[in-house]
Amino acid sequence: MIALLLTVGIFVQLSIHAAEAWQHFGISFLWSSEWDPAIDSYGALPHIQGSLMTTALALIVAIPLSFSVALLLSETPEWLNRPLSQCVDLLAAVPSVIYGMWGLFVLVPLMQDYVQPFLLESLGLLYMPGGEWLFGEGGSGFGFMTAGVILALMILPYMSAVMRDVFRMTPHMLKESAYGLGSTRLETTLYVVLRYGIRGIIGGIFIGMGRALGETMAVLFVIGNLMESPAGLFSCGTTIAATLANNFAEATGLQQSALFALGMVLMAMSFGIQLLTRYYLARTCASRGENY
Amino acid sequence: MKTDIKISARNLNFYYGKHQALFDNNLDIYANKITAVIGPSGCGKSTHLRIYNRIFELYRNQKATGEVLLDGKNILSSDMDILKLRHRVGMIFQKPTPFPMSIADNVAYPLNLHYKLSRSEIADRVEAALRGASLWDEVKDKLKASGLALSGGQQQRLCIARALAAEPEVLLMDEPTSAIDPVATLRIEELVMELRKKYTIVIVTHNMQQASRISDRTAFFYKGRIVEVDETATIFTNPRHQQTEDYITGRFG
Repeated sequence: MIALLLTVGIFVQLSIHAAEAWQHFGISFLWSSEWDPAIDSYGALPHIQGSLMTTALALIVAIPLSFSVALLLSETPEWLNRPLSQCVDLLAAVPSVIYGMWGLFVLVPLMQDYVQPFLLESLGLLYMPGGEWLFGEGGSGFGFMTAGVILALMILPYMSAVMRDVFRMTPHMLKESAYGLGSTRLETTLYVVLRYGIRGIIGGIFIGMGRALGETMAVLFVIGNLMESPAGLFSCGTTIAATLANNFAEATGLQQSALFALGMVLMAMSFGIQLLTRYYLARTCASRGENY
Repeated sequence: MKTDIKISARNLNFYYGKHQALFDNNLDIYANKITAVIGPSGCGKSTHLRIYNRIFELYRNQKATGEVLLDGKNILSSDMDILKLRHRVGMIFQKPTPFPMSIADNVAYPLNLHYKLSRSEIADRVEAALRGASLWDEVKDKLKASGLALSGGQQQRLCIARALAAEPEVLLMDEPTSAIDPVATLRIEELVMELRKKYTIVIVTHNMQQASRISDRTAFFYKGRIVEVDETATIFTNPRHQQTEDYITGRFG
């Protein structure tokens, strides 16, 4: 109940402060891509796109990674399982600002000196059709891909913890019947365990998604903070959360209101993810004939 | 009539870690007969059954020594292809274990594992398997519905259909009706007796009436040893061992 009041209260507060911006720019605030304090013109599009892009990249990296980590953890013997699980859980204990610093001092140079030259030049991916469109003007080490990799590391422990529980909670008898029909371990996992735990796994993915969407500090360090729409995987840009953190201190008047409006958008997106999760879960349950 | 021996367990011992659960089991399973395995809880009947398709190997520190000959070949030897073995020896469990997918997909599951078939061939074999498990008439209009939406008895017959679809030679049943109501149990018993024509069946059961109703031969297990194996009628009317008699007359167990 308190949680509900608090959420509603926050949203009302946001709306009050954002009212000026909404009145000024109308709904086109959402798809305008200008952000120029000099002429007091603000648009949300690059930020929204940036948030979506970093989140998507984080998930693309984190889903297979956390899946294999979870699988490994569920199949290792007990004495190895404990320390390994704790190592993964430890990733969740690292403060996000530390991830940001690590990103800045380790990952950015790594991307700049090795990953980007290798992908773009050595493999020649930049010169394949659409290469420039896909990767953009890279070379700095900063940008969406770097942010995505850091986010992926940050959400990995949450997602793999959920998936690990799913693998563990699959009834022995169900797995045995899959093996009993002559399935290999891979087939059992892909076709039976995964289907049995799909709810939990989707849930875990959404938890990761929600975190990646709202994450501020770590992204701020490596995204490049360019108020422009994403121009490729290695291009610099910004996210809603990064923009808010970066600009609030000195913003006044209409700019401040626009930032509040951005905040509303972020909150709406988070809620959207929540609703989507619920809807998805409800539908999968219905199609499997279970009561939820 | 000459009876062929389908499975032959020879000097079979089984260990859970250091604990020995089976002691020198020797048992012949006749082809196209129903062999019931009875005995009090914890006597090793399920353990024995679970060696026949090497399902116990999923767990660390479980170990079997001795031989189990399937058509004369030792399935415990390391050159036995375990996937092929499980293709030939199907298993039904204590509780129905439909996979979380549609009825048709459940039955098609082993087909997709072991054969490359066209859609229409799969549909034909799914129907045949469901008919074989006498479930077809109840589900033919809702093949796309979830296997989990069926009743317990239907779910178990779905699992039997799924096992049949793989076209096994042997069916292992580990207390297949222990979680199912009496009426549905009767249907499954009828089904099992029907299946004897095509398959060799080994059924572990707690229920002595069930063993006497449906099986041709019965093995009585006690504390990891096979006390007595014989024609079911003999076991239940004229057992040679005192322990067997005590158990079937309900004096312990």
